Amino acid sequence: MGVPAFFRWLSRKYASIIVHCVEEKSKECNGVRIPVDTSKPNPNEVEFDNLYLDMNGIIHPCTHPEDKPAPKNEDEMMVAIFEYIDRLFNIVRPRRVLYMAIDGVAPRAKMNQQRSRRFRASKEGVELQEEKKKVREEIYQRGGYLPPDEIKERFDSNCITPGTEFMDNLAKCLRYYIAERLSNDPGWRNLTVVLSDASVPGEGEHKIMDFIRRQRAQPNHDPNTHHCLCGADADLIMLGLATHEPNFTIIREEFKPNKPRPCALCGQMGHEIKDCQGLAREKQGEHDQFADSVPVSEQEFIFIRLSVLREYLERELTMASLPFPFNFERSVDDWVFMCFFVGNDFLPHLPSLEIREGAIDRLVAIYKDVVHKTGGYLTENGFVHLERVEMIMQAVGVAEDNIFKKRKEDDEAFKRRMKEKKKRLKAEQRPAFLPTGQFAPQALGGRAIPQPIQNARHTAFDMRMQGMDQRSRLCAGPSDGPGTRGEKRKAEDSDSEPEPEDNVRLWEDGWKQRYYKTKFDVDASDETFRRKVVKSYVEGLCWVLRYYYQGCASWKWYFPFHYAPFASDFKDIKGMFMEFETGTKPFKPLEQLMGVFPAASGNFLPTTWRALMTNPDSSIIDFYPEDFAIDLNGKKYAWQGVALLPFVDERRLRAALEEVYPDLTPEERKRNSLGSDMLFVGKSHPLCDFVRELYLTKPSEGTEMPPELCHGIQGALNLDEEPILPDNPVVSPVPLLRDIAQNRAIGIKFKDPQYEEGFVFKAVILPGAKIPSKVLKPSDWEKSNRGPWKPQLGFNPNRQQVHLDQSAFRALSHNMNRDRPRDGLYSNAPPPGNYHGGPYRPSHGGPSHGPINAHVPHFPSKFLSSHLKELNTQVLTAQEGCAQTGTWIPIGLFLCILFFCVLS
Amino acid sequence: MAERRGEDVVSEFLKQNPHLAQWVESLRGQCETNKQWRGRKEFILRNLESFPTVLPDVSSPSLDRLLSLSMVWANHVFLGCIYPQSVMNKVNEMAEGIVVDEIQVRKTRDEIMGKGKRTATSDKEMDNSIKKLKAGNTEVESKAGGRAAVRSGGSGTFKCGPPPQAPTEHQPFFNRLYKAVAWKLVSAGGFGPNLDHFEILRACIESSKASLSCVFVPLKDIPDLPAGRAQKEGQVCELRCQTVYMGTGYGRDEDSARAMASKEALKIFQSRKVTVKICRRRFRGKDVEDLVLVDDQLRNSGFPPALAYPFQADQQPSPS
Repeated sequence: MGVPAFFRWLSRKYASIIVHCVEEKSKECNGVRIPVDTSKPNPNEVEFDNLYLDMNGIIHPCTHPEDKPAPKNEDEMMVAIFEYIDRLFNIVRPRRVLYMAIDGVAPRAKMNQQRSRRFRASKEGVELQEEKKKVREEIYQRGGYLPPDEIKERFDSNCITPGTEFMDNLAKCLRYYIAERLSNDPGWRNLTVVLSDASVPGEGEHKIMDFIRRQRAQPNHDPNTHHCLCGADADLIMLGLATHEPNFTIIREEFKPNKPRPCALCGQMGHEIKDCQGLAREKQGEHDQFADSVPVSEQEFIFIRLSVLREYLERELTMASLPFPFNFERSVDDWVFMCFFVGNDFLPHLPSLEIREGAIDRLVAIYKDVVHKTGGYLTENGFVHLERVEMIMQAVGVAEDNIFKKRKEDDEAFKRRMKEKKKRLKAEQRPAFLPTGQFAPQALGGRAIPQPIQNARHTAFDMRMQGMDQRSRLCAGPSDGPGTRGEKRKAEDSDSEPEPEDNVRLWEDGWKQRYYKTKFDVDASDETFRRKVVKSYVEGLCWVLRYYYQGCASWKWYFPFHYAPFASDFKDIKGMFMEFETGTKPFKPLEQLMGVFPAASGNFLPTTWRALMTNPDSSIIDFYPEDFAIDLNGKKYAWQGVALLPFVDERRLRAALEEVYPDLTPEERKRNSLGSDMLFVGKSHPLCDFVRELYLTKPSEGTEMPPELCHGIQGALNLDEEPILPDNPVVSPVPLLRDIAQNRAIGIKFKDPQYEEGFVFKAVILPGAKIPSKVLKPSDWEKSNRGPWKPQLGFNPNRQQVHLDQSAFRALSHNMNRDRPRDGLYSNAPPPGNYHGGPYRPSHGGPSHGPINAHVPHFPSKFLSSHLKELNTQVLTAQEGCAQTGTWIPIGLFLCILFFCVLS
Repeated sequence: MAERRGEDVVSEFLKQNPHLAQWVESLRGQCETNKQWRGRKEFILRNLESFPTVLPDVSSPSLDRLLSLSMVWANHVFLGCIYPQSVMNKVNEMAEGIVVDEIQVRKTRDEIMGKGKRTATSDKEMDNSIKKLKAGNTEVESKAGGRAAVRSGGSGTFKCGPPPQAPTEHQPFFNRLYKAVAWKLVSAGGFGPNLDHFEILRACIESSKASLSCVFVPLKDIPDLPAGRAQKEGQVCELRCQTVYMGTGYGRDEDSARAMASKEALKIFQSRKVTVKICRRRFRGKDVEDLVLVDDQLRNSGFPPALAYPFQADQQPSPS
């Protein structure tokens, strides 16, 4: 969901949903990295069954990272992706399924957003390149030094779109990666791996949802599967809630704002391109040993526990004395639905609902207020009760006027505060008054010899008069020459950035008319048009909710406007939506590329296709403007604004492409076809022999997977044309990596279980599911007198407190102060004499002594002991180092003697 | 009225070709506003004959091409999209005669990002096409009937009046000029009647790397003078810098008129600060929006009528 603010808001309001990941780092011994054994228990004290990777969240940072230098070529990118997956795998350690989903062609509803992103990205890329070139030349002229520009072509991030060669290559590399890990990594031994690459239609996270939905609708599904979904998008939280699986966790990178980025020109930290001086690189560390390490800490991961979020929501949404029985699961669905009003990838958000202004809290309050009258919930299994939604919308609509006024007030107040702050900062920079004349401050070491003060009273008088003069001049205006203060003020005036004009002025009466006039270019009287916008938006809400709960209802539907209507416009919406067109088909990958790429990214397309983007006689030339208007829409920066791009006419696109289809090469034809999910298992997996058998018998149609072989997972298996088979070597597509000679993996096409048309996936907790125990402090805890509340910090409610055993104490004292083993544990200052031999002396007897427990932070014991081991090895290596220097001493002596001999 | 006329042409055409009426309505996009569709319909119908292979009720590649070009035109006019020059030229040609009123001014991404390369081309465009016709100036419009109504590509200006962002763009320059004038006056011993006002103003403007433009018009040629005026001889001078109006002066000859205008202009600089604003004033008997430099004192007298108007496509100020 395109709402970065959503996660921030959620994590502030419901802080306990976040748990920091414990990551076991691999160790290095004599220069050889020892991989972590992921078959060992998870250090996070929880075991996950399934790990789902929304791969686009991994591909983007690995191919064009923001906080470190970009990889040099495609091979390095692939390796970076593999390492990233390894890292996640090490943290999560799934025991049953690893599901990797790359975005395939998306529903039409998403296309507008994709288009706007890609058109912008293409322009931004060119701009960056131009700026780099400019600054580079300037620096060379000034005689600066820059590392030579790699000859590599600019990596166009637009190639991360289904249908490009890059994505095809990525799919191949991932197959190799899976086979490699299944063959060699003990943690993967019993794992079922599903790869859904870009040739399978659907967005990554929704393919994952479809998998979960279809699995849990079949009888063999284990209702207590613990899911872990990786991805940074806020809508994953919605999706996770929408599954109604009790054990659902999301893992994502911890968001750290204002991370320093290296300069794109010289690769050094601490400045941006425009400030690059082209100075020689500073040595990192005494011997430049930290040259390749980034000075900031490595990105860390956090878990988001949806079960805890559900606890929070239960507290917030539970309503007493309803006219109908309260059902928490249904109210969660309504909550998810209301979050869509605030923003999603498919619809522009309502102008009156801003997440920063507490829109969700407002909606929840309205919801709890209105639900008494609605007679039921807003949604059911992803279907919307429009007349109930209308009541919510109307309640928001009543407040709209005030929201806009309040927004303006807050905005003004904020600006005022900022201005005052700026003024204060400026005033602090230099003293308000400097003595002049003989009292004027003089630089130390200057030529001027200090003079004795003469006639001090007179000088003081002069200065006083001067001050008065200045003040009077300020009052009279700068007509008689600008005083220093007057100038300053003007400079400030010209500094202040011009405000983007806002013709809509939502805070003034008549805002609705002005909004429709400016944004849609229609008159206030054009009621038909307004209804059309509302109707489309209502359809949109239905489509989005259906998309989250049932899968893509229509591949064709989209919201054909750039702006949303007002909440108060949602009147008589009950009959506005009936049903979506059935039997719609997704685009083919190359068709989708034609739909989302600007002409500048045409190099990813076949020549004749590309020509359609530039030729004035092309029948789809209108899809590809060179430049487009951006409506800042009250925002400050261009990237926040609304890109006014034309919408794609699907009929005309298909018609135009029909003529160039024959120009595709066989390879391009293959890339353009729809593919299938792939399932991989290792030799020791029970399913392996079954699959092997299939390859021998070669059944002509799909075979149902026996659920008992694979934790109750079902689906149809189809033979792959170029399968990965055990004992057949797999060639590495990346030159950096070795071929797999001893392959132990097997792969086969996999298809999710199918259901008849019109089947409704139920949004309920499955029978047999055990709800995880509560984590939040019960609100009546104080009353119950059960002693102090002990908050749960990780996944494990009974986390072991740390105890140091004898060996730990030995290790500590070994590393701490060996000369004074009796002193306080952590302080270097000697304790008062009478403390010696006192009762608090750390004895090696046992962990029961108070102070020790009090001092040691509450680490899990395993964690701490591994640290101690690390310390030990460090000490050992230091000793080895000493030994090495020791060998140098005799040689030195020998040389000295030799020297003396020569002298004598 | 512009809109009437365009509609008349379309309805007249459809009356003559009734078989097209239903078909052409089927080409309307689902999210098009009435206004957008009106323009695009006219575009399609006007260019129908140059696409002889287009048959009603038959979708064909040539129809798609015509539709595509009509969308290019509509996207450019209504959404503010810019297409490659060859496409733009073609569409401008095809759009000749179509009149759209009240086109919104939009900023393209390049403009927001501060790339000025657009202005040159759009100025050229301005010369042979009319940007915006407000209902009201019918004379101009009927003369321009054969021209295309195409919004200016970049600068966001339309036929009458300065672009709305112009004051903010010019303000920094006049802040600098203010400082320069203040210093200059200090060194000249303060503002007074015995200075060479024109020389001071010119020197300041040139030191700020701009130039002063003067327009002279004989007094008798000026309409809307108050009737009570006795004098009929002499010259009037108007000063502008970077198209911003600074002052008007009257004198027996051009030099004295210019000196008087400069004095008026320098008076503005006597206040605490100067501001560039868009104000209404008379020009050739009509009210127009003009960019003017004002001080912070409120004046109720209004401005003298403009002698030149730089915001009109076919009228450039003549710099002296």
